[in-house]
This record gives sequence, C-alpha cells and structure tokens, in this order.
Amino acid sequence: MSRTFTVEGDITAADTRTLLTTQGSVTAPSSVVPAGMSKIDKITVAAASEALANGAQSFFLRLGGNAVKGGEQTICISASGRIAPQAGSDSAPQIITSSVLTDLDIAVTPSDTLTVAVEGAGTDTGTARAVVTLIYA
Amino acid sequence: MSRLYRTREGTVSAVDTRTQLATLGSETAPGPLLVPQGVSKLVGVRAVQNFDMSAATSYSALIRLEGPGLQEGPECVGIGAGGVPVATGGNGVNEAVTIPLDIPVIPANEILVFGEMCGTDVGSAEFAVTLIFE
Repeated sequence: MSRTFTVEGDITAADTRTLLTTQGSVTAPSSVVPAGMSKIDKITVAAASEALANGAQSFFLRLGGNAVKGGEQTICISASGRIAPQAGSDSAPQIITSSVLTDLDIAVTPSDTLTVAVEGAGTDTGTARAVVTLIYA
Repeated sequence: MSRLYRTREGTVSAVDTRTQLATLGSETAPGPLLVPQGVSKLVGVRAVQNFDMSAATSYSALIRLEGPGLQEGPECVGIGAGGVPVATGGNGVNEAVTIPLDIPVIPANEILVFGEMCGTDVGSAEFAVTLIFE
C-alpha cells in the first residue's frame, strides 16, 4: 500500500531555503506522515525557472522535520541556465517533466511531521516553480 | 537498511579545472561531507549541471569523487554535455540523472566532490551532486 503527499510553491530567491506548503487550491495540506507508513519509497519532483534573469542555478530538495530519520536528506533535482536574447527577440520557455525517483528507502516516523523545501543554488535565473510528491510505503 | 542522501553544489567557472563543490545553497559552509555512520557503500550518485550560456561554444561535464571516505580511491563520472550557438538567447532547464554505483565507503571519513567543465570555456556552470549511501 502507498500514500501520496504533494506540495508546490515559488522559489523567489537564490540560496534561500524555501518551504513548500501549499497544494494549489489546498492552501494547508497536512504534512503528517500517514499512520502505517515507514518510508518514502518514491518521489516525483520538478523545478524550472521563468528565466527572467541571466545565470545558471541548480535546484535541490530538502526533506527535514521530526519524521525524517537520519537527519535532513538533500537530493538534487534539476538545473537551469539563461542568457538574454537579442533585442526584439523572445526567450524560449523552460519546461521540464517531473522526474520519478524510485527505490529511495528514506526512513520516516509515522504520525510525525516532515518539511519539504526546495532551494535554487548559484545565480538567480528568475522566479522558479517546484512541485514535489512524496510516495510513502 | 535505509538510504541516506547528502548533497553539495557549486559554480565551476574555469575550463578543465577541478573545482570542489563545497556549499549547499543557503548553507555556505556545511562542512566536510562525511560518510554517515552505519552505511557501507555508495549505491549511487544523482547529479545535474547547467551553464550560463555566456560563450558560443560547447562543453562536457564530469564529477570527481575523492578523499579518505572512498575505500578504493577516486572515482570520475560523466554527467552531461551542452552548447549554445550564440551568446545571445540561450535558455533551458534539464533534470538530474541518477547513476547506480556499488562503491565501498568508510564511515566517518570525508568524501570530496568536484565538478569540472571540459573542452571549451562556456562561461560558468552550476553543478549539484547527491551521494546516496546505504
């Protein structure tokens, strides 16, 4: 049996730990690990930038909180880069499909809370957006 | 046995230059990346890089793992390549790649993580590398 937990949010500044706490129309989803679950088995994750600023940055995930055994777990997600187009031209979009990470085996404590944060490291390429789904088992 | 995930990132701004990845975003001095207690091997790395496209050329990217935490010595893994035809108007995002490994490690000892851009200088590239221990 598995259960899912999804959060999403904006990453508005580089090198800043940004908690993801919303789920679209659900503004405060519960971050309590469901009873009977003992590990995060899979994660789907995507992060991309609006690319309004020149630079290169990498995005990584932070899983923390009391529920995560073994301390905070950090996992890289994606990276974006951008250079300004010539005057009169438009920049291409940044689009990425979620990565599906399997067989993660991250131990968690059921009925305790965890935090999901995403951070962009390097040079800010503009506001980024991230979505993370934890799949418990 | 559960798995543990440890990440470092950094900017590589010179071509063919071994550059240590020693920060973690808002953590500018996270300290040495030590092999956690209770694990015996590195079962994989997850890595990603992208570049600022400030020079019209191409490059390849690799990571190097070194240090006393690696029982059998240094390792080197290619993680990608890129290029841009003009330095006015590049833009893109790419996902990290997970590479399965089976490398014995020594708990409580350090692993140093390096990124390297190879070939021609493309400006600067941002690297992030996650070590997966079990």
